[in-house]
Amino acid sequence: MSIMIKQAVILAAGEGQRLRPFTVSKPKAMLAIAGRPIIDYVIEAVVKNGINDVVLVLGYHKEQVLDWLSINEPSGLEITCVTQANQLGSAHALAQVEPYVKDDFLVLPGDKLIEASTIAQFIHADPQAVMAKRVDNPSRYGVLTIEKDLLKVITEKPRDPSSNIINTSVYAFNKKVFDFIRPELDIPDVLNKMVSRGIAISTHETQGVWLDVVYPWDILNLNGVVLRHLSTSLGGQVEALVAIKGQVNIGKGTIIHSNSYLAGPLTIGENCDIGPNVCLMAATSIGDNVSISPFTEITNSIISNDVIIGSGCTIQDSVIDQGCNIKGHLTAFSGDAEVEINGEHHRVNLGAILGEGCTLDYGVVAHPGVILGNNSQVRAMKLINGHLPDRSLVL
Amino acid sequence: MLNCLGHLEYRGYDSCGIAVSNSSIQVYKDAVRVAELKKAIPPFEGSLGIGHTRWATHGKPSRTNAHPHVGCQNEITVVHNGIINNFLPLKQKLIEEGHAFSSETDSEVIPHLIEKYYAGDLEKAVERALADVKGSYAIIVMGYGENALIAARKDSPLIIALGDHENYLASDVPAILDYSSRVIYLEDGDIATVTADNVSFRNGGKSAKRTEHKVHWSVEEARKSGYEHYMLKEIHEQPNVIRDTIGNWLLDGEPLEDLKRMSEGGMETLLILACGTSYHAAMVGKYIVQELLGLPVRAELASEFNYYGRILPETLAIAITQSGETADVLLAIKKLKDVGCRVVAITNVIGSRVSRLADRTIITRAGPEISVAATKSFIAQLMVIYWLMMHYARVEPKRQAELVLQLRQMASRVAQVLDKESEIAGLATYFAKYDDIFFIGRGINYPVALEGALKLKEISYIHAEGFAAGELKHGPFALLGPNKPVIGIVTNDATHQAMLTNIREVKARGSPLATLVSEGDDSTDTLADFVITVPQVDPLFSPVVNTVVLQLLAYHIARVRGCPIDFPKNLAKSVTVE
Repeated sequence: MSIMIKQAVILAAGEGQRLRPFTVSKPKAMLAIAGRPIIDYVIEAVVKNGINDVVLVLGYHKEQVLDWLSINEPSGLEITCVTQANQLGSAHALAQVEPYVKDDFLVLPGDKLIEASTIAQFIHADPQAVMAKRVDNPSRYGVLTIEKDLLKVITEKPRDPSSNIINTSVYAFNKKVFDFIRPELDIPDVLNKMVSRGIAISTHETQGVWLDVVYPWDILNLNGVVLRHLSTSLGGQVEALVAIKGQVNIGKGTIIHSNSYLAGPLTIGENCDIGPNVCLMAATSIGDNVSISPFTEITNSIISNDVIIGSGCTIQDSVIDQGCNIKGHLTAFSGDAEVEINGEHHRVNLGAILGEGCTLDYGVVAHPGVILGNNSQVRAMKLINGHLPDRSLVL
Repeated sequence: MLNCLGHLEYRGYDSCGIAVSNSSIQVYKDAVRVAELKKAIPPFEGSLGIGHTRWATHGKPSRTNAHPHVGCQNEITVVHNGIINNFLPLKQKLIEEGHAFSSETDSEVIPHLIEKYYAGDLEKAVERALADVKGSYAIIVMGYGENALIAARKDSPLIIALGDHENYLASDVPAILDYSSRVIYLEDGDIATVTADNVSFRNGGKSAKRTEHKVHWSVEEARKSGYEHYMLKEIHEQPNVIRDTIGNWLLDGEPLEDLKRMSEGGMETLLILACGTSYHAAMVGKYIVQELLGLPVRAELASEFNYYGRILPETLAIAITQSGETADVLLAIKKLKDVGCRVVAITNVIGSRVSRLADRTIITRAGPEISVAATKSFIAQLMVIYWLMMHYARVEPKRQAELVLQLRQMASRVAQVLDKESEIAGLATYFAKYDDIFFIGRGINYPVALEGALKLKEISYIHAEGFAAGELKHGPFALLGPNKPVIGIVTNDATHQAMLTNIREVKARGSPLATLVSEGDDSTDTLADFVITVPQVDPLFSPVVNTVVLQLLAYHIARVRGCPIDFPKNLAKSVTVE
């Protein structure tokens, strides 16, 4: 634990199938949390730890990452983009960067939310090393079996986990790792192979923030965590008689009309047109260019760019993706729901999940836990329920 | 210097060269692209230099015709952008006086003229020489043994960028963005003396002051950032361009008083002038003005207007030019101003010439556009027109409110089109094998058909034509057949039925057929070989989504055919000559 690692490889090629409809047209790393894509938090974490040489592995809808980078490239840092044409696995992704890495380097997932403190210790680790974390639901992940701080084996998604210490997918490697990568497709398999050939792999537990998004409702949890750190900044124009409580962030060009009530933590993007008489309640993120008409109440939800929300809506624990047009009087109460994703059934407390570009006519009622696919249309006064595919037409 | 020249290649790139002053003046130039010159050039040393990338007007692209040009004594070196109208008599006279010319260019008279008047004071010699010259120019002069560069402009763009103990001169901002963001725009008639630490100006024989501007473009914005071509990058930037353009509308007051008066009076007429892709924006603008303001309006090509355009009793003209330097548009504005017409310019370049000529300038927020094929600047122009006309629309308040909301969602609608890129790329591989492709549209999508054809022809070299669909039977039908595919743009407005009739007629003649339809419109499913759906928007906004589809189609066809997409042969980005 002495020399600091100077280079980071961030893997952001993955799709995130279980996060559909949000990942139909963007990689998981580009999901917006409090108005910023997850990968932005990862890049910020490495930069704050003094790493300014970053290699990004892009694949699935890489243009979304490139477009974002071209507008928001963080300063003081050299970014190299490498393409993984077919997303075969994390080890295959890592194999693509062999020509671009120098001595020791960090490997991080671009789609897990971390903070600078999460890796502050780990960047001093001697390769080869894996960062570990204790979690409540280890069977979602690779569970680590550790002996005297050394890795014995990684067991992927065990039914009966032997411990609650899991693989964070953050690694410290040197070039030696490339001798073991092929023909493996996933990094845990590479590590198991290295262990079996007698190579010591140290484990380092982190106490910092490390949050994964596997299902659409996880986005709301992450949003809540990030908003807790929010500090108030008021751009734009706030008309008279607007009540602002707690930490509220308002972007430039935005107008909040009279008699609106904003209870933080709350972040509102640029050029939004909100109110009069709109209630935005805690742990809500509003993107850029959003319009919200009078008498709408939104609680603990994420509203993406360019969304239009008409008057008289109630929206709780919901995620509404970009460009949706909600004519008015949408009822999306949160409730106990059983949601089916890829054949798995989950009980969650949830409002509505709406994919991008949906149009909902007046008076739609969304059953708790409904997932509406991208570019769907729902006619007036309809009840929507269950998991509806992209381009659904509800008549 | 070579780096800077690389950033200027969008202005022309048939030849290039540089000169560096040290113990002597060394010149290296050739009829090659900057990248090739970079490989071939010997190492030069010195703290003063000039460079040029050329776009032939007088004399073919060749090593001798390339700039910099030098005088007889190899002491006066000049780079020039523009046209010297009286170069023939000047050249004749200089030859009689014993000067020897090596090129066929108009530009070469400048170093010889300066040489003729040079008597120890380079600035004076330049001033005297320019008094003899008629035409347009931006020049930079380097003299042997001098520690200053002398620059001058008239009717051609030139900027100075300020650095730390170093200063730069260039035709346009992207050239120097790597080194400085502090920029001074020269004005017509300015002569500037620039050393490493000092910049001074003279105009009309008197010293002048010029203010410094801060450029907000980042170097990153002027780079390709991971994309194979600038054009694709610029296509993908369009959702953000739209958000930026409409960004400040909420807080904006009165965008254009003239239009307010006109929309209330209703007796005046409006003229929209432009060239190239901007002309297609002007044509779409014509439909928008008719629909929203109900005013009489005409859209004219500036190049035609200059020679044949009768000045009708128009009181307001809108001139659209991406670069702000398009010679034909500038000339037209001068003509209009002479008869007392108010002129509003829509341009992408702050401080460009057009902004000095026009009474009002509205800047599009497209950022620098490097690819010769205009994409995001076109969409930004449309957004400005929508914004202006929407503000003064004389339609039912309910429809106006609905249109404003739709406009606020336009960025997402374009993003939805971009999500279809792989589908469009698949279609491109099919179309790439044809030598002729026709685009048809009606009403507000007729200009989109023209724009689709223009994009395709300029980057893929496929013969492409756009037609008003109703005109097919008046001639173009004779061309149709199995080797002549047609792309039909179907709009959900009054033209829908008529368009379907045209599409059936095309199909009956055996042409392969693709259609662009709104989502949910299945009327062409049984007729067309390919159907591309675009997000549902009001017909008034359909040009935005349809154009983006056609941009992607043109790009991918050109890519399949292996064309140099960003720098097509024979084309330059901003056309600063008539």
